[in-house]
Amino acid sequence: MRKFAILADVTCDLGEELQKQYDIRVLPGHVVLPDKTEIPSQQKWELFTRDEFYAELKKKPNDFTTAPPNTQAFVNTMEELVEEGLDVLTMTISGGMSGTFSFATQAAKRVMEAHPDAKIRVVDTLRFGPGFGLMTIYAAKLRDEGKSFDEVAQYLEENKNRFHQAGWLDDLSFVAKKGRLTNAKAFFGTLAGIKPIGEFDYNGLTTVIGKAKGAKQAYAALLAYIEQTIERPEDQIIFIAQTNRLPQAETFKQMIEERFHPKQIHIKDVFPACGVNIGPGLMAAYYVGKPISKDLSEEKAIIEAALASK
Amino acid sequence: MAIKRVNGIELERMLRAGYANLRLHEAEINRLNVFPVPDGDTGTNMTMTLGHGLQNAVSSTEVGPYLKSLSAGMLLGARGNSGVILSQFFYGFSQELSRAALIGPGELRNGLIRGYRSAYESVLQPVEGTLLTVSREGIEHIRSQITRSSGIDVILSMYIAEMRKTLSQTPEMLPVLKEAGVIDSGATGFILIFEGMLRYLRGEKIDAEPLEKRASPAAAGPDLSLFDENSEFVDGYCMDFLLQLMNGEAYSRNFRLQTYLAALEKLGNSIVCVQNDKRVKCHVHTKKPAHIIQLSQKYGEFLTFKLENMQVQHNEHDRDAQPARHKPLAIVAVANGGGMRALFESLGADCVLDGGATMNTSSQEFVTAFEQLDADEIAVLPNSKNIIPAAEQAAGLCRNKRVTVLPTVSCAEGYFALAMDIPDGDDVEKRLTQMRRGAEGVVTLSEATASRDYSYHEIRCKKGEEIAFLDGELVCVNEDWKAAIVNALLLIDGIEDLETCIVFRGSGVSEDLEAELADAVAERLPMLELEFIDAGQEIYHWVLGVM
Repeated sequence: MRKFAILADVTCDLGEELQKQYDIRVLPGHVVLPDKTEIPSQQKWELFTRDEFYAELKKKPNDFTTAPPNTQAFVNTMEELVEEGLDVLTMTISGGMSGTFSFATQAAKRVMEAHPDAKIRVVDTLRFGPGFGLMTIYAAKLRDEGKSFDEVAQYLEENKNRFHQAGWLDDLSFVAKKGRLTNAKAFFGTLAGIKPIGEFDYNGLTTVIGKAKGAKQAYAALLAYIEQTIERPEDQIIFIAQTNRLPQAETFKQMIEERFHPKQIHIKDVFPACGVNIGPGLMAAYYVGKPISKDLSEEKAIIEAALASK
Repeated sequence: MAIKRVNGIELERMLRAGYANLRLHEAEINRLNVFPVPDGDTGTNMTMTLGHGLQNAVSSTEVGPYLKSLSAGMLLGARGNSGVILSQFFYGFSQELSRAALIGPGELRNGLIRGYRSAYESVLQPVEGTLLTVSREGIEHIRSQITRSSGIDVILSMYIAEMRKTLSQTPEMLPVLKEAGVIDSGATGFILIFEGMLRYLRGEKIDAEPLEKRASPAAAGPDLSLFDENSEFVDGYCMDFLLQLMNGEAYSRNFRLQTYLAALEKLGNSIVCVQNDKRVKCHVHTKKPAHIIQLSQKYGEFLTFKLENMQVQHNEHDRDAQPARHKPLAIVAVANGGGMRALFESLGADCVLDGGATMNTSSQEFVTAFEQLDADEIAVLPNSKNIIPAAEQAAGLCRNKRVTVLPTVSCAEGYFALAMDIPDGDDVEKRLTQMRRGAEGVVTLSEATASRDYSYHEIRCKKGEEIAFLDGELVCVNEDWKAAIVNALLLIDGIEDLETCIVFRGSGVSEDLEAELADAVAERLPMLELEFIDAGQEIYHWVLGVM
């Protein structure tokens, strides 16, 4: 059986350590800074710290832009891998948020034309950031277990809808502006004190499924929500993403550990490729659970009941 | 007395008045623009086109030379679809009157006819329900009534009346207008020009900014963040250029407008193209600008060239437009201060009424707002104890809509109510419950300077002292405003467990004081997170919502 590489775009926010540990190839994109310099978007803090980056982003929300790796970048990396004798399982950020999936698909077509023996597949994860990263780790673990290229690809297609996000995004102006939120127009404006709770929807965007008054109510509702949607937490790796909400993420981590005893739990940074489009207000857990309902009606009902209970 | 003739100087003054009138309504016209794509700048385009003509025109007592220079300026300065059509109208008008020294009734009639014909000719596929229809019907319906003794003012007033009639029918001619519930923007602008001219003849003055060079609105630039790698590109580019036909060897010298137009038609749409001797002014929408550049350079070189991504404009329009769409639930909020108004608007209030501690909103104001909102149900956030009665009375007077007054007694309660709304559902009851839940359990603390000596229960204050209220009740008096606030906060039941506090800063209170207040509160209540809003309310320096 031919070996295969797992190739993900930079928005998977694994961080360099986990990339290495799980042998996931990550393709950088581009970030344009307010002074118009363009840098490769990577999964490390180099030119600035996390706090510096999000502070600057908050000040100049419109002055940062991102661009995904283009078709040629995918072609180059795929060819490199194919020439190493590997098949390439490519995973990309949600097609609802970015054009990366189509770039990668075009690249795959071109590389396969040039290398008819090579096998390349592109999976639209319908996720972003650490939610996407978590899925790459599941793929890598299956590969380590000896599952074939096709088996892993099939697993991803069939199960991506089970990767949940339970958290809040307390500054919606970024996602709303960049069209990364379903029904974004309804959610402009300052939301001081309110924690809008977001879950992934069928289109690979985030939908606000409830609103909590203050962090305390939000934590309680989120734990109740995880309880009712997670499956076998003791076997899971859980990611907690935070853009610029580290203290809250640490509190949440502790709560999740106490209640669900997951196998592993990591707090993950969100690097500029995603961070520019999300803004500083994300704090969310990612885990695998029950399939998400098509219109999110079940998820909305769960969170509503959780918010109503005192 | 009827005005029988006007000379070039008179005509120039009339046109300047027409311009002033157009300028006055520019923003209004921009809002009407939905055709052909909602790029939202018809008013600006028309104003700038006419403005450019007026600026470049050479004054003359004779009508012919004046119009010739005006029309040349307009052709050169024409911007956008409507600007080009407008310039073409005046081109026809000037052609008709090229040898006239004065405009009499016959000249005016013929000029207006030639004008609309020229406008029609400039558009490949004339669309009815626009400036074209209005300018055609305006004169065609009255031409037989014009005699040698008709006054210029009389003709203009008939012309305008006819055009207004047609204008009111434009939504029936163009479905896109009907859908948007507007009349045609270009046609509206056109009529405004003639109304301004007539008003000048009648001796009226129009207050508008004087004619002057102003920065093109594009100078500020569209919001480029509205188009990125994920945007759909369906609207294409808007190209506007002035082509100088050349004589050199490198160029084909047999330029024929009809052939050129036929070629353009294959490459784009919304084409408006006019030739003025050896210059061709062209406006076209296309997804493939390179082909058009190539085609044009066969004949000459560009004198000016403008290329805009219409999708960006479209997205900007979508973002800025607040179409009065029918809603299951509309929200009316009362706000005191500009910042607070903006806050409630940004949170999704459909109508924000002015009202405050001393200037209470009247029932009439509520009723008017209810009537104007296109919604099945209405929720009201009065945000003051003194305004709730008027809101409730108005709710009783409103016959055709169910009105629910959510009795919010402060802007803080109103804020939390509205911030908790999740407006994507059609379930009105659920939304009302969600908003009620938002206002529940919010304690409002207000701080002000005492305007007179006062005593209330056990508490006394003197004029000039700082006083703090909890849910409307005076609880603390202090020399220092921070101490008054902190002491009042400490009186709130279970304050140690509360974590969220939104702070509305009043008008005239320096932003620097926010940090001072935050520090003073953090000293006693380190867990309470303060978030500040520059609300601009009167009387109360600070209003805090704690929960």
